[in-house]
Amino acid sequence: MKKRRNWAPYLLILPSVIYLAIFFAWPMARAMTLAVWDADAVLRLKAEASAESAGAGTLPRGTQVEILGQQGNIVAPEELTQRNLRTERWFRIEAERADGQPVSGWAQETRVRVREESESGEPLAGTIRRKLGSDADPLTDVFSEASVASAVAGRLEANTRVEIREQAMLELWYLVRGEADGTPAEGWAQSRYIQVYADDTTGRIDRGNAGELTNRYIQAMVNDRFFWPALWTTFLLMVLIIPVQFVLAMIMALIIQQQLRGNSFFLYVFAIALGVSDLAVGIVWYAIFTQYGYLNSILQGLGFIGAPIAYLTADTRYWIIIAIWLAEVWRATSIVMVVVVSGLQAIPNEVLEAADLFGAGLWKRIRFVILPMLKPSLQVALILRTILALQVFAVVIALSGGDIVTVLANEAYRQYYDLRNVNVAAAYAGLILLLSMVSAVIYLRLVRSNEEAQA
Amino acid sequence: MADIKIESVTKRFGDFLAVDNVSLTIEDQEFMVLLGPSGCGKTTLLRAVAGLGMADEGRISIGGKDVTYLPPRQRGISMVFQSYAIFPHMKVYDNIAFGLKMNKVDKAETERRVRQAAELLHIENMLDRYPSKMSGGQRQRVAVARAIAMKSQVLLMDEPLSNLDALLRLEMRAELKRLLAEIQATTIYVTHDQIEALSMGDRIAVMRNGTILQCDHPTIVYDQPATEFVGGFIGNPPMNFLDAQVQRHNGSVDVAIGDFKLAPHALYQPVLKPYDGKPIVIGIRAENMETLSTPSDDAIKVRVLVVEPLGSQNLLTVKIGANTVKVSTHPSFAVAPDQDVWLRFPAEKIRWVDRDSGQMLYPAAV
Repeated sequence: MKKRRNWAPYLLILPSVIYLAIFFAWPMARAMTLAVWDADAVLRLKAEASAESAGAGTLPRGTQVEILGQQGNIVAPEELTQRNLRTERWFRIEAERADGQPVSGWAQETRVRVREESESGEPLAGTIRRKLGSDADPLTDVFSEASVASAVAGRLEANTRVEIREQAMLELWYLVRGEADGTPAEGWAQSRYIQVYADDTTGRIDRGNAGELTNRYIQAMVNDRFFWPALWTTFLLMVLIIPVQFVLAMIMALIIQQQLRGNSFFLYVFAIALGVSDLAVGIVWYAIFTQYGYLNSILQGLGFIGAPIAYLTADTRYWIIIAIWLAEVWRATSIVMVVVVSGLQAIPNEVLEAADLFGAGLWKRIRFVILPMLKPSLQVALILRTILALQVFAVVIALSGGDIVTVLANEAYRQYYDLRNVNVAAAYAGLILLLSMVSAVIYLRLVRSNEEAQA
Repeated sequence: MADIKIESVTKRFGDFLAVDNVSLTIEDQEFMVLLGPSGCGKTTLLRAVAGLGMADEGRISIGGKDVTYLPPRQRGISMVFQSYAIFPHMKVYDNIAFGLKMNKVDKAETERRVRQAAELLHIENMLDRYPSKMSGGQRQRVAVARAIAMKSQVLLMDEPLSNLDALLRLEMRAELKRLLAEIQATTIYVTHDQIEALSMGDRIAVMRNGTILQCDHPTIVYDQPATEFVGGFIGNPPMNFLDAQVQRHNGSVDVAIGDFKLAPHALYQPVLKPYDGKPIVIGIRAENMETLSTPSDDAIKVRVLVVEPLGSQNLLTVKIGANTVKVSTHPSFAVAPDQDVWLRFPAEKIRWVDRDSGQMLYPAAV
């Protein structure tokens, strides 16, 4: 009999996969593209004044162009969007000239005053407007097609009554010629992409209608004067915090593992920090380290110092680093501890007893049995901690105000919120993501357990 | 010399008395089995010897050295655990070498001893495997190899075979016995399997409720159990117990099972005299009764309830008074349920039990 595949687990997983795709993967991919994608960098020219026509080369944004001609194209009203407001309205009219000759054709909205409308707002009839200015031609041209470039079907005097048969929206296209990187390009483009200068014969590409990959946001990030300090501070904090946390967490976990009296009390005390928000932790430590804070009060009270020491100033960055270090160690060690405790509890007691019996004292037990068997747990904790260390933010804000000492997450926030530079903020976020993933992969490779290595 | 002296050892867990004032001496190179039902204190006693759970009172010495409160690693012992307790992150070689490495035995010597131990247990071709890739029986062998590679004079084993399936257990039992005879260590072996105890031990200490009921050679423990519990715990099927009445008859005593009268062995007459007119319990093993298909004056008539052919024997379940009795017969003995058969009790095979204390009664000379 053929083995049947069990689909039930996949069906159960499906909602979370969909959830993940919609609310995590897709937005993240969109956000990350911001860092490397310039959405309107180039303008694609068309061979004819129509969106459907073939391409005729591209010009980058900002290129100076010559305007060789223009054309109006009829567009359906429903296709008009907020973005192409540079349109003209034309009417197809029928009228009788003063000499009784019938005239029918197209006239611009600006030449016709609408006098009658249907209930639904359709214009039905109107009169030809008077032209202003003494030297102006008193007659108004009526064109055979909805374009000033078409043949003139007739000319009408001012105040001639006209029947309005039809109205049309015209989108203006320009025939432009420009040069990008030595290669000339000529073609049609909608007027909304072109900024025309006062002389009506030259202009420049205002924005493109197609995106291209760019590294300029990343360059902007790297060239930002806060970039390197933020990067180095982040790494420095990781290097300072993580080893200390692991040593402390191991000690705490081993204490709890001893099953002393008041065991669960210790566990709760150790874990309390888990429940406090990181901003609150930052503020608590700020209260300790600020010039008239607890630390100075105590030191003064004990007579160790005369005047209060200013710890959190631009001249004493090391004190800020120390304060951040203390706050982070205090706050996040228990996460590691919880993981290590659960890992320790998975080690069978008889295995530890066997190690003891075969001659391993406490240190040798830790070195040869407990640590190797904790590898998978330590791996999880290490990845978790590294990712969290790359994201450290609120504590830094609270203790340094975010400019004396800065970290990557803080720079992402500053670019996005203070400087309104979404793309550079996305570049910072992408860097943090990249570092997290790279470190996770490195840990998974380095701390691979023996059983896996063999398989 | 590594004899183990356990003197008046007591161990409590809260209010629970796990080991109650136990004394036991194990001679150098002796194979001592601690046997008993679960919760009887046998593992607790072993752990006290190992140092994994210190005794509350009493004294334990190994080879004349007081080790009562020494940590396990300073006692010069090695041990095989029930769950094997081999290190999952080490290859078989490193598992076996662990104790040697911890005790700073030099590399060449370690290699020699690991290979020797592995060969003794036939796992020399698995030395660079990980335990997770091995079967239960193979892991068991690793655990034993790790223990014997230490060449300690004392070897402790805590139900080492209980996690193996029946066939493997049978095979390992014989192999362990051969092995332990070869390495000449003083061994304490904890088990709840009476067959293991009978087949392997030089002596068996039967434990119950934290005390040792009897400690003697397997044949004696089997043949002359000290209490009703020992008789009932050891042997398959366990010893049968029958309610009877002691009566005076012509200056000696008779024992009546219902209407049937039984003459006790002459040696037991003085022992039974004080029970004149009192009830007593007869203990007899299934294989010690003779089954007759025809009536006889010295045999009791019984009705067969169940017949179980076991190949080497037929096991009959019969009813005598209120007691259910298992009788072992030759497989050629033809009998069907609801038939009557006659049982004969050979006088020298009958054991006598004090009904109130459960103590077996033996003449002083035996």
